Amino acid sequence: MKIKNFVLGLLITVFAATSLASSKLEGQAAPDFALKSSSGENLRLSEYRGDVVMINFWATWCGPCRQEMPLLDELYERYERVGFNLLGVNIDDDSRRAMQMIEELGVDFPVLFDARKEVSKLYDVDAMPVTVLVDREGTVRYVHQGYKPGYEEKYLDQVRSLLRE
Amino acid sequence: MTKNIMTLIVAAMLVFSAGAMAQDDDAPSREDFRSLDQDVQSLKKEVLDLNRDLFLLEEELLFPANSQVAFFVSLDVGEYFELDSVSITIDGKEVANYLYTEREADALMRGGVHRVHMANLKTGDHEVIAVFVGKGPHVRDYRRGATLNFDKGIGAKYVELEITDRVKKQQPEFVIKEWE
Repeated sequence: MKIKNFVLGLLITVFAATSLASSKLEGQAAPDFALKSSSGENLRLSEYRGDVVMINFWATWCGPCRQEMPLLDELYERYERVGFNLLGVNIDDDSRRAMQMIEELGVDFPVLFDARKEVSKLYDVDAMPVTVLVDREGTVRYVHQGYKPGYEEKYLDQVRSLLRE
Repeated sequence: MTKNIMTLIVAAMLVFSAGAMAQDDDAPSREDFRSLDQDVQSLKKEVLDLNRDLFLLEEELLFPANSQVAFFVSLDVGEYFELDSVSITIDGKEVANYLYTEREADALMRGGVHRVHMANLKTGDHEVIAVFVGKGPHVRDYRRGATLNFDKGIGAKYVELEITDRVKKQQPEFVIKEWE
C-alpha cells in the first residue's frame, strides 16, 4: 500500500512538472511573422521552412539574456552551415538600445525588432528570455522559459537532434 | 446391411449439404466484397463533399460574399520603388500592416499579386488609406499615401493598391483602384 501511494505521488509530481515545463505551443505550427531586422531587411519565419529555427525573445533590461546571447551565437556559428537559423527577437520599445547591446556583445545572428510586441503576444512570451525551437516542418518542438547556466547544453542536444531529423 | 449402407449415404449427404450451406453462410461472395468496397468509396466521397461544403460554409460565414472586400497589392516594373511595407487604414482604423521580405517583393516584381487584406464592410461609403513605405529613387527612404473613397454596394468588392513607375518624372506612383 505504501509503495502504491509512493508511485502515485511520484506520477503526480512528474505530471505536474511536465505540464509546468511544456508550453501550449509545443507540437503546434509555429505562428508566422515578419519583422524588420538589424540589417534593415524584413525577415519572415515561414521563409526558413526546411531549416531548424531557434527564436530567442530578449530585452536589453534582462540580465540572463545578456549571459545567454553569446552562447547562442556560438551555437549559431557552429551549426548555421548545416541548416540551423537563429532569430533574436528584441522586444524593447527603442531599437537603438538593442543595436547598442548587440554591438557590445558582438553577436552575429540576425536580430529582429518587435517594438509593437505583436510577435511576443503570438508566442505568449511572459518571461525573459524565452527560447523557442522550431523544426524543419515549421512545428514548435521546445519552449524554454528563462535562462539558467547549463541550459545551453539542453539547447545543444535539442538542436542536434532536430538537425538529424 | 443395405439398410445400413442407405443410412450411411443419407447421413453423408446430409453432412455434405450442411457443410456446403455453412460455407455459403460464412464466406461472403465476391459480390458482397464489391458492394462493400463501393459503400466505402461512396462514404469516402460523402466525407470529402461534406468537408468541402463545411469549408465553403465557414468561408461564407466568416466573409459573407455581400460584405466582402479584398485588397490586393501589385507592382508594375518597380524600378523607382523598392517595397518595404504597406499599411491599410479603413474608415480611420488600421486593419493591416504587411512587411514584405526580399523574396516577396521580388515575386511582386515578377508579376505576382498579393492579397494583403480581406475585410467585411457594410454597404455604403468607406474610405481606405494605404501607406507605402520603401526605398525610392537613389535609394532614399520613401513614404507615400494614397486614398480612395468608395461606395460598397451589394456583392463582393476588390480593391487594388497599385505601384507603378512614372518614367517621365522618374518617380513611383501609387494608385488605389476598384476592380469592376
